[in-house]
Amino acid sequence: MEKKETFSSRWGLILASLGMAIGCGNIWRFPRIAASNGGAAFLIPWIIFLVLWSIPLLIIEYSLGRGTRMGVIGSFGKIMGPKYSFMGGFIAFCSMAIMFYYSVVTGWCIKYFLRGVMGTPLLKARDYWGSFTSSYQPILFHLLAVLLGSFIIYRGIEAGIEKASKFLIPSLFLLLVIAAVRAITLPGAVKGLNFLFNPEWHYLRDYRVWLQGLTQSAWSTGAGWGLILTYAVYMKKREDTVLNSFIVGFGNDSASLLAGLAIIPTIFALLPPAEAESVIKGSDNIGLTFISIPTLFSKMPAGSFFMSLFFLSLTFAALSSLISMLELTCRIFMDAGLTRKKAVFFVGVMTFLLGLPSAFSLAFFENQDWVWGLGLMVSGFFFAIAITRYGVSRFREEWVNAEGCDLKVGRWFDILVKYFIPVEFVLMLSWWFYQAVRWDPKGWWDITKPTSLGTCLFQWLLVIFLFIIANRWVVKKTFRGEATK
Amino acid sequence: MKAGTIIMMIIFLGGVWGIFIYLLGLAVKKEREKSIIYKEE
Repeated sequence: MEKKETFSSRWGLILASLGMAIGCGNIWRFPRIAASNGGAAFLIPWIIFLVLWSIPLLIIEYSLGRGTRMGVIGSFGKIMGPKYSFMGGFIAFCSMAIMFYYSVVTGWCIKYFLRGVMGTPLLKARDYWGSFTSSYQPILFHLLAVLLGSFIIYRGIEAGIEKASKFLIPSLFLLLVIAAVRAITLPGAVKGLNFLFNPEWHYLRDYRVWLQGLTQSAWSTGAGWGLILTYAVYMKKREDTVLNSFIVGFGNDSASLLAGLAIIPTIFALLPPAEAESVIKGSDNIGLTFISIPTLFSKMPAGSFFMSLFFLSLTFAALSSLISMLELTCRIFMDAGLTRKKAVFFVGVMTFLLGLPSAFSLAFFENQDWVWGLGLMVSGFFFAIAITRYGVSRFREEWVNAEGCDLKVGRWFDILVKYFIPVEFVLMLSWWFYQAVRWDPKGWWDITKPTSLGTCLFQWLLVIFLFIIANRWVVKKTFRGEATK
Repeated sequence: MKAGTIIMMIIFLGGVWGIFIYLLGLAVKKEREKSIIYKEE
C-alpha cells in the first residue's frame, strides 16, 4: 500500500496550481490577442470572463479533487454515478492529447533557449525554424522534455512537483519582470504601450472581442481541464478551495499582463509602427514566437542574452504546465492500482511515442491543437453538467463551503454554474464552429483537413464513443484500484 | 505616452496585480489563524 501523498503546505499547492495555469498561452497568445482586439478594451471582457467562467470551474475542480481523492475519471464516477465516468474519460483524453504535443512545444523552447545561450544573433530566423523542424532535432528535444517532466513527477508530489514549482514559478515571474523592464525602457517602447493599453472602446461593441476574451480566459487559466482537480487530490482535507481559485485566476492574469509588457513594447521599439502592427495581427502563435521574436532580438544590443531569457521563461512556463498534464495521466493509472513508478514509466513512454507525429509534422501538430484546444470547452461544460446533476446548491454546501474554507461562496455560484457556464459554452463553441465554416466554406466537413470542423467533430465523437463502449471496463479498473488502496 | 494609456495601465496593472497581492496576503492571514485554531485543538 502506498503512503498517501500531499503537498507539504498550501503554498506548495498554490505554486503548483499557478504552474499549471501559466503556460505558453500567457506568453505567446495573450499579448497578440489583447493588442489585436482593442487593447485595454479587450481586458474588460477578459477579466469579466475570468469570474464568469474560469473561477467557478476552478472552485469545482478543487472541491471535487479534495472530496473524491481520485483523478478525473474516478471523480466523475463518484459525483455522477459510474455510468457517467466516460465524461471524465473525455476530459482526461483531451488533456492527454494536449500533453502529447505540449511536450514537443516544451522541447522547441529548450532548443531556442540553448540557441540563445550560444551567443550569436539569429539572423535568419525563418530559415532556422524551417531547418530545425525538418530535422530529427524536435524528436530529441521532445524526448528531453518528456524525461525532465517524468523525472519531476517520478519524485512524487512533495519532492517532485512541489519542489519544482517552488523554483519554476518565482523564477518565471522574475524573468518576466526583467523582460518587461527591459522592453519598456527601449527607445520607442511607448508606442507599444499605447497599442496595448490605449482603450479603443468601440471594440466593445464587437461581439468577437467578447468571445476572444472568453476563449482566452478559458484556455489560459486551465479551468475545466481536470488538472487542478488532479492537484487537489493531494490537498490536505481541511484546506481552502475558494480563495485558492481566486489566487490562481488572478495570478495567471498577472503573468499574462507581464508577458504583454515584455512583448508588445519590444516589437514596437524595433520595428516601424505599421510593420509592428502587421507582425502582431498577422502572426500565429508559432510564427510570432519562433520567427518574429528571434528576428527582433537579433536587431537589439545583447539580443542573444534577451532571447535566451525569453525562451527560458517560455520553457519554465511550458514545463510547469507539462508536469501537471503528466500527473493527471499518472493519477488515472494510479487510481487503477498502478504504483507511481510504473505509472510514470508507462505515461512517459506513451507521451514520447504519441508526441512523435507532432514532432515530425507541423500539420499534425496544428490538427491536434485545433481539435483538443476546442475540446477543452466541452470539458468545462462537462464539469458544469456534473455539478448541475448532483445539485449545485448541495455541492456548494457540502463540497465547497466545507471545513477549512476561507471564503464561503453564495448563491451567485449556483447561478454561474447552472446558467452562465452552459450559455458561455454554447456561444463560444458556436462561434468557433461558425468561423471554421467561414474559413473553408467548401471543405469544412473534410476530416482530412487539419483545422476543419469535420476533423474536430469526428475526433471528439470517436473518443466519446470509445469511452462509452469501454465505460464498464474503465469503471471496474478505476474503482478496483480504489478498493485495493 | 497617451493619457488613456497611463490611466488604463494604472487601472489594469494596478487592479489585477493589486487583487492578486491582496488575495495572497489574505491567504497568509487565514493560514495564521488556522494554525492557531488547530494548535489549540
